[in-house]
Amino acid sequence: MANAVLGYKQSTFPTKLVIISLIGLLIFAVLPFVLGTFQLSFLSKLMLFGTLAVSLDLVWGFTGILSFAHGVFFTLGGYASAYYLKLNLSAAANTYGVDIPDFMVWNGLEVLPWFIAPLKYFPIALLATVAVPALFAYIIGYFIFRSKVSGVYITIITLAIASALTTFFVSQQAYTGGTNGITDVSSLSFFGSEIPPIGLYFIILAYAAFVLALSWWLTQSNFGLVLRSINENEKRIAFLGYDVAQYKIFIWTLSAAMAGMAGGLFVPLNRFISPVYLAVAFGTQVVIWVAIGGRGTLIGPFIAAILLGQFQNYADRVTQDWQLIVGILLLVVVLFIPNGLMSLLPERFSLANLSKPTRISPRAPSEQKS
Amino acid sequence: MDAVLSVKDLNVVFSGFKALKGVNLEVYDNEIVTIIGPNGAGKSTLLDAIVGKSPVASGHVFYQGKEITNRSPHQVARMGVGRKFQNPNVYNQLTVFDNILLALKGSHGILASITAKLTKAKKGRIYDVLERTTLLDQAFEQVDSLSHGQKQWVEIGMVLAQDPSIVLLDEPTAGMTAKETRMTGEIIKSIAQTHSVVVIEHDMEFVKQIAERIVVLHQGSVLAEGSVEEVQSNREVIEVYLGREAISTAA
Repeated sequence: MANAVLGYKQSTFPTKLVIISLIGLLIFAVLPFVLGTFQLSFLSKLMLFGTLAVSLDLVWGFTGILSFAHGVFFTLGGYASAYYLKLNLSAAANTYGVDIPDFMVWNGLEVLPWFIAPLKYFPIALLATVAVPALFAYIIGYFIFRSKVSGVYITIITLAIASALTTFFVSQQAYTGGTNGITDVSSLSFFGSEIPPIGLYFIILAYAAFVLALSWWLTQSNFGLVLRSINENEKRIAFLGYDVAQYKIFIWTLSAAMAGMAGGLFVPLNRFISPVYLAVAFGTQVVIWVAIGGRGTLIGPFIAAILLGQFQNYADRVTQDWQLIVGILLLVVVLFIPNGLMSLLPERFSLANLSKPTRISPRAPSEQKS
Repeated sequence: MDAVLSVKDLNVVFSGFKALKGVNLEVYDNEIVTIIGPNGAGKSTLLDAIVGKSPVASGHVFYQGKEITNRSPHQVARMGVGRKFQNPNVYNQLTVFDNILLALKGSHGILASITAKLTKAKKGRIYDVLERTTLLDQAFEQVDSLSHGQKQWVEIGMVLAQDPSIVLLDEPTAGMTAKETRMTGEIIKSIAQTHSVVVIEHDMEFVKQIAERIVVLHQGSVLAEGSVEEVQSNREVIEVYLGREAISTAA
């Protein structure tokens, strides 16, 4: 369907992008059958980190809001899912054989707190995994973006949020398990039968693909154009009649929801969640994945999270100082490849080029044949 | 006839400094009002106050009979007031086409922008805007690669795409070559056939090319108002411009 108007050969279907995506998906679908048990769950974990990086890319890469709080959204989702798995331990598996979690017993709680109790039920827990981080993000976002705080000040606020929440979770030991977090959780079951690692892998792969596809779909629309404009000059876009704060609150909240679900899937895999993932250090890791992968490329941060994770895994065996190597790598990327590793690919493989319709020379609408 | 835009006794204060002191201004359908005045006279501030960028201390701004004093910029823009800034305020990373597309009149809500389709009507509008601003051949070039003058036209195009009933242009010819300036004059004249236009300008040659009614601002107040000839022969205006010789040499 070639509909040539004003320079756009309107092929509504991004064939090239779909083919490349399908090949990528196929590789990830075959991988679990050649990988060992360790690599299978390790790769599952890295895909979730990758998804988290994609969610940050939406707010940082596209909209220009640098956030160190994405670990927080991830972890809030993680806690929701951890409570669910903890509360669904069989009485035999629970050390005390009662229906409240062991760490609550240690801390002298006798009754399950009302705000945690409903998380025993799957639909509620699933909803909370997305809704709690989203609501939290919405409230913060509402105040930050409506009050026109911008630039580096937002980033400072996100740092403060990450620190404050870490302290808060550590201090509320009876409810959160303190520094240890929630450990020894049950594995995820589906109608009474435990989901094997490979099943979890495919659930996570599906979720990662969903987040990537949704993000791509959003960013190639006019909505994405508005996000990029906010990034370049947010004052100007307001004079065109766009409510900038509304756009920022929306993408910020959506991104938190995506991160929360990733955190929710992380817990059945990792078997515990703790304030470590709330802390600024983890939030910084997410920022590094996006910076190295390439801001505004979506797939770049996803791949960077996986590659860096693998790299850390091997470097860890050679030296304890692998973080130094990651630091040096980050410096090199920031200084010499400021647009990230994805910018090393030839232009015709760039996301913009793969998803945009083909261009032809302009001609008046009256000359077109439809 | 009711004014499209009417400014009544407007005062704007920046931390004690009175940038505008009791300014009155009326703009009618399809006319070009040119605002001149020395640096710091409050020309840009006046436009800022109209579009809700600078807070109004006292006084009123009416647009099509409705009060818009101190509304937020996006609300004023949605009501139909288009504004072009002093420096080309365009999206350098985007193509000319995308810049115009963003500015196109329509619903600017989130859902609308996610589901927006590039309809034939929209393409027609964009074509029309690009044609009026002589940018058809650059439609798919990144704005970055355009000349300074062309960037100014992109911004005028963005204002046009909003389909406002009134267009506010802040120094549209700044940094342009003589040829580009003349073309800009023609573009503005063609805009004025269907819109009201307020232009802030320094270049007296250009003012003479486009001006119908001139308002002279000085130290935050309206000093004089009238046709090119009336303003040029006004004693007070000549005194204000004395030493700069702008008016006299231009005449």
